[in-house]
Amino acid sequence: MTMPDDVDLDRVWTNVAAEVWRRQPRRLERTAARLLKSPGLARALFTTPSLLLPWVIASAVALAAGALAQAGAGQPLVWLIAPAVAAVGIAYAYGPGVDPAWELSCSCAVSDRMVLLTRAVAVFAVNALLGLAASAVALGTRAEADTAQVTFAWLLPMTAICALALAVAVAARSASAGAGAGVAVWIILVLASGAASQSGTPGAVNPHLTAAITDARLYLPYLAAAACCAAVVIFATRPQRGIK
Amino acid sequence: MNIELSDLTRRFGRNTAVAGVTLEAGPGVFGLLGPNGAGKTSLLRMLATILPPSSGSLRLLDRDPARPNPRREIRRRLGYLPQNLGYYPSFTVLEFVEYFALLKEIPPARVPKAVATAVERTDLGPKARAKLRTLSGGMLRRVGIAQAIVNDPDLLLLDEPTAGLDPEQRVAFRALMRDLGQTATVIVSTHLVEDVGAACSEVALMSEGRIVFRGTPGELTARGEDHGVGDAPLERGYSAVLQAARA
Repeated sequence: MTMPDDVDLDRVWTNVAAEVWRRQPRRLERTAARLLKSPGLARALFTTPSLLLPWVIASAVALAAGALAQAGAGQPLVWLIAPAVAAVGIAYAYGPGVDPAWELSCSCAVSDRMVLLTRAVAVFAVNALLGLAASAVALGTRAEADTAQVTFAWLLPMTAICALALAVAVAARSASAGAGAGVAVWIILVLASGAASQSGTPGAVNPHLTAAITDARLYLPYLAAAACCAAVVIFATRPQRGIK
Repeated sequence: MNIELSDLTRRFGRNTAVAGVTLEAGPGVFGLLGPNGAGKTSLLRMLATILPPSSGSLRLLDRDPARPNPRREIRRRLGYLPQNLGYYPSFTVLEFVEYFALLKEIPPARVPKAVATAVERTDLGPKARAKLRTLSGGMLRRVGIAQAIVNDPDLLLLDEPTAGLDPEQRVAFRALMRDLGQTATVIVSTHLVEDVGAACSEVALMSEGRIVFRGTPGELTARGEDHGVGDAPLERGYSAVLQAARA
């Protein structure tokens, strides 16, 4: 059998290789790609679990610091700054010397900060769920009550703030805008809830200032805010008509 | 012009890595030569939109990389191989190249073909499913080249691309560079003057942050006649220009 002269074997082989090597993303990754409107971000979220380790460590350290501070002096001020400490830790963990492909990522169209933000939201959301589950199982004793309090006081606000930052970043197509909005809203929340609180816990460093994390009445609004922000992300990233 | 630099400067504290470079380049393979610390990598990192310039103007692909949206568009059409390629050891070759294809915002439907093309062009087909931690230094360099060309870039920046490649691979890679240079601007920073002689249509020589020579490889060779130091004609031109610049 002879082959026609006009057959480009290289091109044929490349097409065959593309089909053989094609990877089928899992359903979760496909969903994330649609929600984030970026297959690159979704891949970054699901494909590099090793990069999550610094965040898990940062979360554990901040959580432990909050718990120790509460158990020792009964001053929840640490919780107030814990979200910022964790965020700074994460920001510095994702950089040269830690992420091996950091420099390459910086030259890509998908912003490395967007990758960071997406991963941060995922980590905090998962941690919040785990903390809530642990609290529900161990409800009752004094120590377990502390665990639940730490979970709510630290993880819920952080999840809500991260969700807000992601929503703004997705809507504005700018990671800087998202991060700025997150930090600004957290500062406003701390100051506003401090001003609104009428009484503080005796012995606390600044009970008015820490109301944003110690006032249990805020936990539900935090959850609601996180849910609303998720809805905004879903709306902002919905498939456009006529665009496949 | 794909690259337009005017009086571009980059300082790190008191050190000036790039000192007032002015350069224009269109399609073709452009060699960037110079000794260690000459400023080649800093210049390449500014072209890769990773490092902002301290002063001067920079336009890439007719866009201003200082503004977010143009920068994003530039990055979609940019390929970059850093001097020290970082990689995720647990990734396979395909996963690594596909990861950067997605980060470069290649439409998902086109990703499998783009990845297969890049892997085949760098002759990595037999190792496509191998984990990166199992590959040799030369193979990893080719993986780095594959991710750089996966988006068929209009501007390709290669920092020491042939480091670690064996002679046969270097010859193949030079052919690939010439092929890419037909349509794209390929900037190759290297210590290996034979790469420049074999693949580049134009060459610039940097010393202490400045471009001290710009011309064809033949013109650089001519500078070394009778008074250069080196084993090859191009090396003699290189050393003669550097000596003159330092004097």
